[in-house]
Amino acid sequence: MKRLLLMAWGLAALAAAGRAAEDGFDRLDAALTGSTAAGGVRARLSGTLDLEGYHFSQPPPGLIVAAGTGLFNPRLTLFLDLQLGGRVYAFVQARADRGFDPSNGPVEGRLDEYALRVTPWADGRVSFQAGKFATVVGNWVRRHGSWEDPFVTAPLPYENLTGMWDVAAVRSAATLLRWAHIRPKSFSGEQFSDNHYRLPLIWGPDYGTGFAASGELGRFNYAAEVKNGALSARPAAWPADEVRWRHPTLSGRLGYRPDERWSLGWSASAGSYLLPVAAPTVAPGRDLDDYREVVLAQDVSFAWHHWQVWAELFTARFQLPVVGDATTTAWYVETKYKFTPQLAGAVRWNQQLFGTVTDSLGVPVPWGYATWRVDVAPSYRFTPHTQLKLQYSLQPDDLGGREFNHTLAAQFTVRF
Amino acid sequence: MRIFRLLLLLLLTGGLPARLPAQAVIEGRVPLPPARPAPVLNQRYEIVSQGGVVGTNPPLAVVYLEGRFPAPTVPAKAVMTQQNLAFVPSLLPVAVGTRVEFPNLDATYHDVFSYSAPKRFDLGRYRAEEQPVPSQVFDVAGLVTLRCDIHEHMRGLILVLATPHFVVTDAAGRFRLGGLPPGRYVLKAWVDSRTTLERPVELQADTVLRVDFP
Repeated sequence: MKRLLLMAWGLAALAAAGRAAEDGFDRLDAALTGSTAAGGVRARLSGTLDLEGYHFSQPPPGLIVAAGTGLFNPRLTLFLDLQLGGRVYAFVQARADRGFDPSNGPVEGRLDEYALRVTPWADGRVSFQAGKFATVVGNWVRRHGSWEDPFVTAPLPYENLTGMWDVAAVRSAATLLRWAHIRPKSFSGEQFSDNHYRLPLIWGPDYGTGFAASGELGRFNYAAEVKNGALSARPAAWPADEVRWRHPTLSGRLGYRPDERWSLGWSASAGSYLLPVAAPTVAPGRDLDDYREVVLAQDVSFAWHHWQVWAELFTARFQLPVVGDATTTAWYVETKYKFTPQLAGAVRWNQQLFGTVTDSLGVPVPWGYATWRVDVAPSYRFTPHTQLKLQYSLQPDDLGGREFNHTLAAQFTVRF
Repeated sequence: MRIFRLLLLLLLTGGLPARLPAQAVIEGRVPLPPARPAPVLNQRYEIVSQGGVVGTNPPLAVVYLEGRFPAPTVPAKAVMTQQNLAFVPSLLPVAVGTRVEFPNLDATYHDVFSYSAPKRFDLGRYRAEEQPVPSQVFDVAGLVTLRCDIHEHMRGLILVLATPHFVVTDAAGRFRLGGLPPGRYVLKAWVDSRTTLERPVELQADTVLRVDFP
């Protein structure tokens, strides 16, 4: 806790010193933007440097992997945006950090996103995109970058681990209840050793590999994608060399904007959530395509003057041949208000509920612990290039008891 | 009797129409930095790509006469629009006390803000048709850098000046500054945040002075 506060004060001092460098950042931006003589090909290199610190009670919340009660997670993200004429756009996102999700592992480098987009008509009726990129489902992806997101952590549906695995198929209700730690019930505060097998409803921005088509028709917009993994697929399954094209996932979103203030969206996704390694464990006569994650989602956002609101509702059904389907519903609503040009505050309410599976005695049993989480996050922009976010989260422990997990997080971002 | 009084008044005031003070003109040229490439939009998570629609900002300079001038009796007004995902004009000189309106002419939201010391503000998200048009009064001299919280490539500059005599050059650096009172002043050319050229000038009535900055 003291380290976290010390870090926050240190970063604030650093940001204050950085005010004088505002003009320097603009010059750096100009230096990192280039074009051909005629301007037909233009490129821009930009990025963010995030210094994140977490303090939490065990077990760590969401997708964080750490043994102690604190974690320092630096992250350097580089973006390359490339415009070729008026019809072709490409982008790359590369990161160096301690894992896609915060962990105490060694620093590694990754190519998180790369895509090529072709827009044949200037009116934007359709664009085609290929590569490794964020999902079209929902509305969180558009603000998931550390600079745009009012919070340090993702909404609950994007990071709350369920009892579903991707390395083995559930063959009985007892297995699922054991993986969900319902039976036998684990003790409060226990860090599950099987966390690296478990899946959330949707894993972060889902940078899977595939193809997409999107466009705008009046007040409606649409996007559809074919990818190599389900929405719940883990980051290790996102790259193109993770061959799951025999079992692709199809997702889409239909959007409607009555005016600039409102944005409404309806999404759907279906695809196998099991990795190829799970093939030997499926029920006799079944294959991976019989184990699909089917997601229906609705999203809404509103923005007016200094106030913004976002909400998403997901209903997911994990198909389990022989056992019966396992359903879960997760939703959140978050709001952000700018109190001054530099000071903003955000609050988010998250909740996830679980359906039931029938145990060997014929009794319906929830296959997960219903949970909720409230996040509060003030943020301050020292300059147009430096920002400090703080977050406090309160959530019942993984076992749905009376114990609570308290998480404090601080994130200092330099954008260039 | 009434006609006599009127003739006396005309004699005392110097007759009608009143004589305007003789004015001077300065014209010349300012060397401009090379043009920057057009910005590249971050469209990673956009449904629709807007490849060639972005407005461009050619380098321009502001030439102004520094000296002691009477304050304007009526506060000035100016307009800086957001159009084609760019500030238009990209460089706007205004006198201290000017109210600047920021109409949004695009079909999408903008969120204009500035963290510059002379004027710190955030207009929030306004629709194109929303009234009143958001505005700010710029009452401290200095350079104000405008940005958009939604479109990170957008940059606009407002140069707040303690003089009513200023003009923006054309894209070739040429300028003509007229209506100047005779006297000794300093002519300045603001080129960018690091470069302001200056030259002492002596203006005489009804003359055109040529000043080419090096």
